[in-house]
Amino acid sequence: MKFYRVVLKDVWRRKRRVLFAVIGVLIGTMTVVGIFTITRAGEARMLEQMEKYGPNLTVMPAISNVDMQLGDLSLGTLSVGENYIPEEKLLQIREIADSEIKEIMGIEEEGDIATLAPKLYVNTRIKDTSVMVVGIDPLPELNIKTWWRIGGGEYLNSNSQALVGAVAAELLELKEGDPIDLNGEKVTIAGVLEETGSDEDYQIFVPLPTLQQAFDKEGLVSSVDIRALCNACPVVMIADDINNLIPGVRAIAVQQIASAEMEMMSRINRFMLALAGITLAVGLFGVGNTMMRSVNERTKDIGIMRAVGASQPQIMKLFIYEAIVIGVIGGIFGYLAGTLLAYGLGPVVFGVSAINPIPQYFPLALGLAIGVAVVATIYPAFRATRVKVAYSFRSL
Amino acid sequence: MLEVRKISKVYGEGEARVVALDNVSLRIADGDFKAIMGPSGSGKSTLLNIIGGLDTPSDGEVVLGGKRIDNLDENGLVEIRRGEIAYIFQQYHLLPSLTAFENVILPLLFRGIEGKFGEARRMLARVGLEKRAEHKPSQLSGGEQQRVAIARALIDDPKVLLADEPTGNMDQKTGGEILDLFKQLNKEGRAIVMVTHNPEIAKHAREIIVLCDGRIADRLNNRKENKV
Repeated sequence: MKFYRVVLKDVWRRKRRVLFAVIGVLIGTMTVVGIFTITRAGEARMLEQMEKYGPNLTVMPAISNVDMQLGDLSLGTLSVGENYIPEEKLLQIREIADSEIKEIMGIEEEGDIATLAPKLYVNTRIKDTSVMVVGIDPLPELNIKTWWRIGGGEYLNSNSQALVGAVAAELLELKEGDPIDLNGEKVTIAGVLEETGSDEDYQIFVPLPTLQQAFDKEGLVSSVDIRALCNACPVVMIADDINNLIPGVRAIAVQQIASAEMEMMSRINRFMLALAGITLAVGLFGVGNTMMRSVNERTKDIGIMRAVGASQPQIMKLFIYEAIVIGVIGGIFGYLAGTLLAYGLGPVVFGVSAINPIPQYFPLALGLAIGVAVVATIYPAFRATRVKVAYSFRSL
Repeated sequence: MLEVRKISKVYGEGEARVVALDNVSLRIADGDFKAIMGPSGSGKSTLLNIIGGLDTPSDGEVVLGGKRIDNLDENGLVEIRRGEIAYIFQQYHLLPSLTAFENVILPLLFRGIEGKFGEARRMLARVGLEKRAEHKPSQLSGGEQQRVAIARALIDDPKVLLADEPTGNMDQKTGGEILDLFKQLNKEGRAIVMVTHNPEIAKHAREIIVLCDGRIADRLNNRKENKV
């Protein structure tokens, strides 16, 4: 028999009491692992988004809200500005984007560099259901939406075709070859997009001229996405130039939005880590309390062990071993519970649905749990070494 | 070889002051068999605890093999408990989570000895419990538990056995069996000091020390009477 077997047997005998200590450690570890896992998934998603949209800008009509007042009376706000961007402005936008990129990258050749994907959004009813139909320029759109995959059928080849988002196809029961009517304009479904997890799933895409014609919006677009070709491209400068030089439009670099979101996220992370720290501290006191009670309850056992030759360091060791057992159990289940917590809370907190268990956090969880249990046990264990043999049997 | 010289033990201060032992001297020779008797609260257990280094006297000396042990620190006392002196208690004091066998090897474990586990089986066989080795204390009778405690005390081959009412919780027959075991151990040359209430048990000792209010009230030498 080894020394640790004495501990294991005693832990088994007092399993209920030990369970309380384990739960204390478990909750702390679970919180930390859960938060780390969610954070990691959130960052991964953010990076993925950056990868997708990083070098992009979006140009929209500039609409400003003017506060209407009469004396001290507020009459609400009035939106001022155009709802559409005239297509002529696309040329100016392209010119600005290209010249900035060429300057930064030292490119001297003529020719287009940035990809411009204009869009026109129209809400209409198809099969008595309200749907967002998006007019697109098929080739540049595909350049920007590198993640698009056609689930059934093919991509847009002619002006009388439409592409349907995955959810829209399901809701409207549309499939390849089905005709749809857009305000009198007939188009045929060329293909259905695979699910992308974004708004695109609910939309129907048709070539821009087709939509403009059907809804009398010739020469107008709702927004323009610009892909700047490279991650190092000066998208923020391009956005500034467009804002300064072209009246009536507003350009935003996706990076700007992303960095604001990142900042927000790291604040939430810090807050949650502070919470996890508090949970760990509470766990520490929980374990300390349980261990202290355990020392008091086992005064007699400690006395017996001292009487048959246990030294003070050996008594200390017994309790530290017990703490390690508590830490190991708490760490293993804390890691599992934390991962489950992340599955449960991830979608709520960060809208992150793709939570992956992170094995690297397992040793972290184990170390943390053992650390907390051992630290919490040091004082009670010290008290245990001070038990006087002659007095330990008195309580009988 | 084991001697207590003019020891006193005082608990508490002021009005709560209790004198448990008052100027008690005692010599325990090798192979001796002493019984300590006296009414409850007369200081029997305190004396036994001080003899064995489980408690320290307020005054006086305890000398084992020519060395003082009353002023030893905890580490020094651990060495005394490992091999020199062993205890047997009225309540057996076995660890409830361990089997009989594991309780017996516990002293070896604390001494860091792992190879002598066969010795534990031998000791259990000696007290007639080889077939109960894997039972937990809760599955054993009082007499059996005390046998396990005796086997545990013997595993370190101590020269002195201190027993505090070892048969106090037993019926006459079982108590007699335990007493026979003690007599046998005494014959092998181990000194035994036994606290008891029972005159029937005490009369097997060579000398009976009667304590009253912390003082030695009487010393009865049994050797001659036994011979008569």
